[in-house]
Amino acid sequence: MSGEEEENAAELKIGDEFLKAKCLMNCEVALILDRKYEQLQQMSDDPMNQVSQVFEKSLQYVKRFSRYKNPDAVRQVREILSRYQLAEFELCVLGNLCPETVEEAIAMVPSIKTRGRMHDDDQIEKMLTDLSLIKKFE
Amino acid sequence: MFFHIVLERNMQLHPRHFGPNLRDKLVAKLMKDVEGTCSGRHGFVVAITGVDNIGKGLIRDGTGFVTFPVKYQCVVFRPFKGEILEAVVTMVNKMGFFAEAGPVQIFVSNHLIPDDMEFQSGDMPNYTTSDGSVCFGAWLPLALNFCIGTIKDDFLGVINDPGAAA
Repeated sequence: MSGEEEENAAELKIGDEFLKAKCLMNCEVALILDRKYEQLQQMSDDPMNQVSQVFEKSLQYVKRFSRYKNPDAVRQVREILSRYQLAEFELCVLGNLCPETVEEAIAMVPSIKTRGRMHDDDQIEKMLTDLSLIKKFE
Repeated sequence: MFFHIVLERNMQLHPRHFGPNLRDKLVAKLMKDVEGTCSGRHGFVVAITGVDNIGKGLIRDGTGFVTFPVKYQCVVFRPFKGEILEAVVTMVNKMGFFAEAGPVQIFVSNHLIPDDMEFQSGDMPNYTTSDGSVCFGAWLPLALNFCIGTIKDDFLGVINDPGAAA
């Protein structure tokens, strides 16, 4: 949004501040925003009036695009992806989009190959298989 | 992409709010002032999740207002150039289409839609390939470029899951 020096998520050039920040997958954001909405409901009869349009739209968006609804499944996804030496940003993009093939994963998160940590297509394949298993047993 | 970050802000409070509920009033004012705003650096502030620290108040010269430095945690939505994400198509016309991803609006121009997709006008305007096989008016993954999106890349365009209409 601000035209910074060659910002490019495909190469993980997102600025130090966000590289080190805690990144959230849509399913995790859904849990947080749900909790906040419940708190507001307890405090007033008209919570919808109190939240901004940004909040409403974000809540709708993350609920619609969460691949995992169960909090345990969400935790598992993060745990599984954390085993693979990914940056937080890459982890969340994969958790959000759930690519099915190795080519798709590399097309969506090119930095997993270029950054030189996951040379092995087999490793990526294993990661995607582990991810899809959670979905099956959710 | 959503992030959970710590931000800091100087909040000004009028003395009429001082009293046993000072902290609550400060937090309420923070939420009212900050939630829903957008900055180029941090993106959209979606929700404040907690207040870490409220520093000592400083009386401003010339007025009775007091400034408190407040450190708080929040969820922000900050799209990045080159990021791939899912969006919901909101409007389709022959110049391209508009989509929404959370609080952010994205425009995908005709030029960034694969050549084999043609605009079809009508009750439910959409883009379809010449053999009618692929058609979207629902949701699709797009690559972000200053909130101009593109679907002219591998694996972008229709999402495999059958979806509800936008």
